Amino acid sequence: MTNEFDQANLPAPERRSFLGVISGLIMAGISAVLGVTIGRFSIAPAFSASNEQPWTDLGTLDDIAEGKLIKKNVIVSQDAGWGKFQTQRSVWIVRKGENVQVFSGVCPHLGCSVASREEKFICACHGSEWDAAGNTLAGPSPRGLDTLEIRVEENKLKVKYQDFKQAVTTKEVLS
Amino acid sequence: MAESKLSKLYDWLDERTGIKQLTSEALDEPIRGGARWAYVFGSLLLFLFAIQVVTGIFLSMYYVPSADHAHASVSYIQKAVPGGWLLRGLHHYGATAMVILAVAHLAQTFLFGAYKNKRELLWMAGVAMLLIILAFSFTGYLLPWDQAAYFGTKVGASIAGEVPVVGSVQQRIMLGGSDLTTVTLSRFFTTHVFLLPLALVGLVSLHLYLFRRATPAGPFHNRADKKIERFYPKQAFKDSVAVLICFAAIVAMAKYSPAELGPQADPTSDYLARPPWYFMPLFQLLKYFPGQWAIIPTVVLPAVLFGALFLLPFFDRRGERHPLKRPLATTLLVLIIGGSIGLIFLAKHQDRTNPEFADKLKQQEEEMHAYFAKPFEPKIIGASAALMSATAPEPPAAYAQSCAACHGDKGEGALFTPLLGVASRPQRSKEDLLKILDDSRAYGIKAPMPESFPKLSPQEKEQIVDWMLTLKAQ
Repeated sequence: MTNEFDQANLPAPERRSFLGVISGLIMAGISAVLGVTIGRFSIAPAFSASNEQPWTDLGTLDDIAEGKLIKKNVIVSQDAGWGKFQTQRSVWIVRKGENVQVFSGVCPHLGCSVASREEKFICACHGSEWDAAGNTLAGPSPRGLDTLEIRVEENKLKVKYQDFKQAVTTKEVLS
Repeated sequence: MAESKLSKLYDWLDERTGIKQLTSEALDEPIRGGARWAYVFGSLLLFLFAIQVVTGIFLSMYYVPSADHAHASVSYIQKAVPGGWLLRGLHHYGATAMVILAVAHLAQTFLFGAYKNKRELLWMAGVAMLLIILAFSFTGYLLPWDQAAYFGTKVGASIAGEVPVVGSVQQRIMLGGSDLTTVTLSRFFTTHVFLLPLALVGLVSLHLYLFRRATPAGPFHNRADKKIERFYPKQAFKDSVAVLICFAAIVAMAKYSPAELGPQADPTSDYLARPPWYFMPLFQLLKYFPGQWAIIPTVVLPAVLFGALFLLPFFDRRGERHPLKRPLATTLLVLIIGGSIGLIFLAKHQDRTNPEFADKLKQQEEEMHAYFAKPFEPKIIGASAALMSATAPEPPAAYAQSCAACHGDKGEGALFTPLLGVASRPQRSKEDLLKILDDSRAYGIKAPMPESFPKLSPQEKEQIVDWMLTLKAQ
């Protein structure tokens, strides 16, 4: 048989070898270059995406009914990889005379959507409730509803949409 | 002390996993005639396949297999993601290196007669792998969805359609319809990232198993060479050095000659398609076989060549392995490889010198480089017409009066071309746009505006162009 080896000529297996160490170093070096490249490639964009939103028009102040919980959608533009995705997010407007508050529609507990029931805000996911000023009345929410920055220009209400960290007692902006 | 603890741990692991025997299987393979630089090709190919798998998996983290977004996502990878140019470059040049080394490995096995002596199946698995590698190349070429990808694949699909009897059915299945669409891109993607890798993993395993069973063929001279060495450490070292050189070469290519990406596919353009260089021999032959004879280089020749390669060990049953004592085989190999290289150079030479398309090819290359040099700009996604109008600036009155009927109230397009994102296209600077408004015929755009184009004052033109520059692509 041509495929059989002459056992007498077979050298003993070797394990400790200088050439072996060099080979190992070459492979480790290539793996390191690849590993670092892949690490940056997959992780870096997660920290560079900006979530800064422009001031968005919510309509004329006079059109906002007194004392009601009013839901409006705003356009947000999200940096997501190869695209700037224009999507909508809900905010809640409450007007008491000259005093206007705009709340994020995202529950500060675990991020479900806030809804209104009569004069209260509720989150049906885990049963949190807030009054019209955003103060927590019941449920697991760690803080009151998050207010958004607003300003009034030429009688028009404008809001700057932001996201906040969930499940913490203080309001922390996610940028 | 530490060492004995370590060896105890190793024993513990070995009892449960059999790692000692596995290591021995991997490293102690005997090589007839000893380690040689000539034997590095197989390991190199295995290394390159691993590189393709690793880089491919991570490229798919940002790549989108849809005609709408594929190009933007590849552009993002190439231009914006840290290390993206390197991963894409490694994948691009790794693919080219695989084609070259697979051919080299096959040619060497052929030249050294290493397919002889009960190695028929080993050889056939190898030929099948070369076909799979070419299929990888063909399906991967479309994925960036740029001009070269789109038009190159169109030609490829037409060639597939020329195959007698099954051609049109085969082409329809390949494209997923009658034309090259987003469905085609999805099919190519699925084939490229799921089907072909599975096939290649299976064939690599089979090839390695058969190789170990047949044992390395050793030197081709039939001297009674009794020298035997184990794979580890000498051959392992030679393989590692070859791997290092190969890796350094593809990194250098990725850095100094980045993987190309041209403007997004535009089916209306008169782009001149050219295949990747390793399909160039067939492309060149195509010029000598006009009309109905075109299937000779595109279908008949490759089919005959691969058929003959497949069955080679059954034709050539002599035991003689020395290349100089097999004049027919050696001459054939030299002719085929030399002829292919000659055809590649001839094709390149004709492209450079032919007055009909040398300029066009040069212009395409310039457009590619211009696009490549532009920084990445994210694509605006999901802005419905209503949302757009909520944020887009109002057009000037002159636009509403004179332009909106054809280009849409907000430039979204109506009877004619949309203007959204016009400013990000080549040759559409403010000066260009003003000139087009002055006289679109004199400027020389492909679809000029009507002769009866209303007269606008210079201020109105300026207002309209300023507004157009604010329009973002959708």
